[in-house]
Amino acid sequence: MNTEFFRRGPFREGAFPSRLHEPRSAVVLGRWLGSALVVCLATGLISHALQEGSGPLPSRPVNGYRVTQGLHVISGLAMIPLLGAKLWTVYPRLFEWPPVRGVLHALERLGVALLVAALLLEVFTGLLNTVQWYPWPFPFRETHYWLAWTAAGGLLLHLGAKAPTIAEHWRRRGPEVPGRRGFLTAVAASVGLVTLTTAGQTVPWLGRFNLFGARSPDFGPQGLPVNRTAEQAGTVEIPEDWRLTVKGPDQVRLTLADLEAMPQYTARLPIACVEGWSFSAEWTGVRLRDLLDLVGLPEDAAVKITSLERRGYFRTSEMAASYARDPLTLLALKVNGEPLAPDHGYPARIIAPNRPGVLQTKWVKTLEAL
Amino acid sequence: MRAYRVSMVLAGVCVIAFGLHGLVNDPQIAEPADILVWALSAVVVHDGLWLPLACLGGALLARSTAPRFVLIAAASVTAVALPAVLREDADHGNPTLLPLSYQHHLLLLLGACAAVAGAAWTVERLRRRRSARGEDEVSSRRRPSRRSR
Repeated sequence: MNTEFFRRGPFREGAFPSRLHEPRSAVVLGRWLGSALVVCLATGLISHALQEGSGPLPSRPVNGYRVTQGLHVISGLAMIPLLGAKLWTVYPRLFEWPPVRGVLHALERLGVALLVAALLLEVFTGLLNTVQWYPWPFPFRETHYWLAWTAAGGLLLHLGAKAPTIAEHWRRRGPEVPGRRGFLTAVAASVGLVTLTTAGQTVPWLGRFNLFGARSPDFGPQGLPVNRTAEQAGTVEIPEDWRLTVKGPDQVRLTLADLEAMPQYTARLPIACVEGWSFSAEWTGVRLRDLLDLVGLPEDAAVKITSLERRGYFRTSEMAASYARDPLTLLALKVNGEPLAPDHGYPARIIAPNRPGVLQTKWVKTLEAL
Repeated sequence: MRAYRVSMVLAGVCVIAFGLHGLVNDPQIAEPADILVWALSAVVVHDGLWLPLACLGGALLARSTAPRFVLIAAASVTAVALPAVLREDADHGNPTLLPLSYQHHLLLLLGACAAVAGAAWTVERLRRRRSARGEDEVSSRRRPSRRSR
């Protein structure tokens, strides 16, 4: 049978007239995309470890999580133009002829399919998570985590399979292909434009260019956006008999006035959300370690924090001793000089350095040893 | 080279197996098949719908550097902004989420892209016309000398 009969449409020789479907462009774009992916993966794993409470959990640097998670979303968004340009460049390879040249070639193509599928879905779910939009039937966090490993493995496989091509085109050989420099510059400029118009949600001096970031400090009670409102959490009305319960070898129940009568400290700390936005504020309240000392909790005790929220994954959080004993970790009663707004966790919330926002428990009810 | 390639491929296969094993066995993921369906759909939409359109648009509109430049930038920003634009009017119960006028911002930016593309196109045309006229002058000056020869 003549297989050439099937060689039609995009499978034709010369079906893609652009000169830019060529290996050197693919190698340059691949380097950029690969770098963004490595940054995104590393910062994502840091975030995962902090949220899971596994591995070393240092409470410094203060802005550590703000920087890593900001970079996670910045590099993830940068991957959108990079992935688009890379896949466009190699698109004719999808229709190469013959489609399969043997077992190894088939496996390599299967690996590429897996890499592309995992990366597309990974970037798509990440982008939609920044606007809290979940149109799919699976859980975001677990899927995003495991897909990241799948994509990383696919990249290693791809780098191995394509090593000769990558080595051959690592440096430019021969004359410049007309239009290539302009094309690569356009892709780089697009990454710059995407970053410029979104990174203001985490980089303060880019705030004025924030056209597409999902949060802005100009919107939100007390100049600070929130991830979950008091209404969403069912904590608009605080029970009249609210007391903070601290349990240890001893136990105390403190009113808001009791807390205000204790030594107050002010710290400038960021709220840094897993969705990639972050803003700093002046928080005032009681040092967490003073409260733990009050009930005789040992220095190395991890703490469980429970909120008034009735439901939700982050109703409780666990805090390692490294955070609980940090002098900057507060049970905050005020933000920017005013009593906390209900959306920020009135009457009291946790705020600690280098910690994901979802773990900065609001509307705190109980502190106890883990 | 061979050792490098073999170790990269082996490491890649192991990491892929780790990721897929996690996807299939994570207790929070009830139906791993859903993820497969969404991943395949992503490929079909991207490679079967978006890329043919991008190739067609590129072939028709982006033959020189300036319009190509602007189209790439416009497509990138649109892709990144689209979820915010689509969800801007949704009631998600949190007024601090998506507080900006994303639709206006996107229109503004795309308008700016169109203006830049238009300006670049005009400059390119003018330059081409001027260089064409320049060549005319050169050739008309040459002609008599050829005749005199």
